[in-house]
Amino acid sequence: MKHRLQLEPIIAIGIVLIIGSLTMLLAGVSPIDGFSALLFGAFGGRSEIGETLVQTTALLFPALGICLAFRSGLFNIGAEGQLIMGGLFAGALGANFNAPPIIAISAMLVAGMLGGGIWGAIAGWMKARFGASEVIATLMLNFVAGFVALALVNGPWKSPLASGAETAPLLPVAFLPSLLPGTRLSIAPLLAIGLAVVIFIVLQKTVFGFDLRAMGDAPEAARRSGVNIARLSIIALGLSGACAGLGGATIVGGMLHRFNTALSPGYGFTAIAVALVGELNPFWICVAALGFGALESGGLAMQASAQVPKDAIHVIEGAIILVLAARRYIVTKRTAAV
Amino acid sequence: MTDPNIALRLRNIHKHFGPVQSLRGVDLDVRVGEIHALVGENGAGKSTLAAIAYGELAADEGTVEAIGAVGLVHQHFELIGRLRVWENIILGREPRKGLRLDTQTARRSVAERASEYGLDLDVDAYVDTLPVGVQQRVELLRELERRPSVLLLDEPTAALAPDEIASFFRIVVALSTHGTAVLVVTHKLQEVLDYASRVTVLRHGSMIATKETAETSIGEIATMMIGGEIPALASRKAHDVLPCLHVTDLTAQVDDSTVSHLAMDVGSGEIVGIAGVEGNGQTAIADAILGLCDFDGSVTFAVKDPRIAAIPQDRLREAVVPGWSVCENMLLSRQHAAANAPRGWLNRTTMRQAAETVVRDFDVRPTNIDLPLRSLSGGNQQKIVVGRSLLDSPHFLLAYNPTRGIDVGAAALVQSRLIQARNDGIAILLISFDLDEILAVADRVLVLFRGEIRGTFTRATLDRARIGRLMAGGT
Repeated sequence: MKHRLQLEPIIAIGIVLIIGSLTMLLAGVSPIDGFSALLFGAFGGRSEIGETLVQTTALLFPALGICLAFRSGLFNIGAEGQLIMGGLFAGALGANFNAPPIIAISAMLVAGMLGGGIWGAIAGWMKARFGASEVIATLMLNFVAGFVALALVNGPWKSPLASGAETAPLLPVAFLPSLLPGTRLSIAPLLAIGLAVVIFIVLQKTVFGFDLRAMGDAPEAARRSGVNIARLSIIALGLSGACAGLGGATIVGGMLHRFNTALSPGYGFTAIAVALVGELNPFWICVAALGFGALESGGLAMQASAQVPKDAIHVIEGAIILVLAARRYIVTKRTAAV
Repeated sequence: MTDPNIALRLRNIHKHFGPVQSLRGVDLDVRVGEIHALVGENGAGKSTLAAIAYGELAADEGTVEAIGAVGLVHQHFELIGRLRVWENIILGREPRKGLRLDTQTARRSVAERASEYGLDLDVDAYVDTLPVGVQQRVELLRELERRPSVLLLDEPTAALAPDEIASFFRIVVALSTHGTAVLVVTHKLQEVLDYASRVTVLRHGSMIATKETAETSIGEIATMMIGGEIPALASRKAHDVLPCLHVTDLTAQVDDSTVSHLAMDVGSGEIVGIAGVEGNGQTAIADAILGLCDFDGSVTFAVKDPRIAAIPQDRLREAVVPGWSVCENMLLSRQHAAANAPRGWLNRTTMRQAAETVVRDFDVRPTNIDLPLRSLSGGNQQKIVVGRSLLDSPHFLLAYNPTRGIDVGAAALVQSRLIQARNDGIAILLISFDLDEILAVADRVLVLFRGEIRGTFTRATLDRARIGRLMAGGT
């Protein structure tokens, strides 16, 4: 994938700004007021930046998992469910496992990876064993995850002290340290960046990553080069799910300090857009996650201060995806014509 | 048209696709009643020229004139297997009786037309039950329905056994004697001399010459096609052959490709060629030996932990990742050998060295190993696949159509390297649809028909005519 500085990105940003402005005009707000509220809401101060990074991180973990799966040719659209299962496992373990903080935190994060990993691997196994489409399997497992979590937090795992549907709170030893005191921001973004580096190294520097990319780019050639496609599909979806699950664990350990069903407003779905906007490259995905994270957190502030409904943000996100899809289509056509 | 003897006249045809100039100022005349051959290497522009003559493509510059209709028989048949012969023929121009298809008239007219052209066809047969040679006749009859005065045949014999080729050309000759102008696009030079009256040679989109076939030779045509002499193949060293691959009672199926109770041996230092028309079980043999499909019977190697290499037949789908660099593709299929990737880490230095070695030894152009593989020509891509397969000195190499679709120069280089690998003691199984390649390269020839070995020949007992008959199911 080449990244050359061209006029296209500028045109693309222009189109997105125009669509955003039109949306704001329809809402009866001056675009200048709207965008400045958005910008201030995202980066205007310590707590705004903290909240932006919280949103960024929540998107980054599942997006990196999606990147790993997509690069392997597996369309994992089940990051949402994997994230929920990761949060559920982490919440269950963190509420009950008493140990020195470093061990308690590590165990909770591993539990989250395990939860998400198992959820991803189930879809991989369905594909390998029965030839099920991973698109359908991962999508459907989102619903299963949501309802399993709902059943558990309303039933056996419901905290006896809580009024709502949630598990018992984490033991304080499992709390993730804070990164920016006075905000909700934990050390999770550092973990996410570390994960991005690990994924980059795995994909580019190891035989395992070579096999994954071969499977993604030319499955038949990969099979003939000695790759066990069925086994690797399970592993790849498992690892993909583990990334999302780790994200769920950091939300539980870093902010909620317990599992509840409001864990994710759909991070696992927005993360698909983040991964694709980042062109399935771990570095660009970090950048894209920051952009989407800023829109998510800035959008809330914009709603409060400029009376632009937060849904306008989704219009802008949609516009970004459309513009990028159009660009890819144009580039493909241009190269195909040669 | 000024000259009534010319049925198709192309003048100064130019065509480019993007920055690639495909045809540069080609002139071509096909006379009434002649069989005119159009030859050239892959990518020389033959099929483009045929498509322009047919009107499928528009030329950038130049004129196309034809008397009457022009028909084109494609290289790959465009028939619907689950319809009957007559249904395929009338498709798109069905005679009607009110709103209904006039079955009786349609069937009768197709049968009449078939006998009129001397085509031996059962018009009620389902197309997918017919042998390839007969399907070819169906395809031909469909074009003849339009009563073309110019008939274009694009690589018409690519999938036919030698016997079928002869009977196909009998029909074509009969058509031409009745006045049809025939243009045959081909790369089989023997057919050119046997059946065509004139031949036009294209190279890199330019017309090199038009010659009377009576006044030329295969050598001269080939020289014009490639712009130089065909390099001679490497010579064959006499040596002892030790057992390597032992196959007994092999029964396997891959899609439509089946073999049953097949036995064969390939020794170290010999090339065993499997001659056969496409679709007689070659893919099942290849995949079973490579362990890529389930099979009954046994496939064993004389050495423990044999190093097995393969040149797959479908280059772009099975052999390479087209979007990857030449360098990365050079590791594909070798990545699990500990020496190439110690402890599971890619070693860029050894990767690059291996790639540079192959690029140098096989004269791959361009020499930049960081270019995406798909930007190379087919011949250069294939050199990479072949060079890669020989990198780790394998015990056994399976070469499946190793020179299909590549130019003559690259093909000769690949064939020479196979012979050299054989001289170095590698056991090679060569599966090829090109009988000439088998005859040129193999030490022993097994003839495959419907998943069974129908004959075995050594270089001393090679008999081209008999192999041809066996390939078609004869004796």
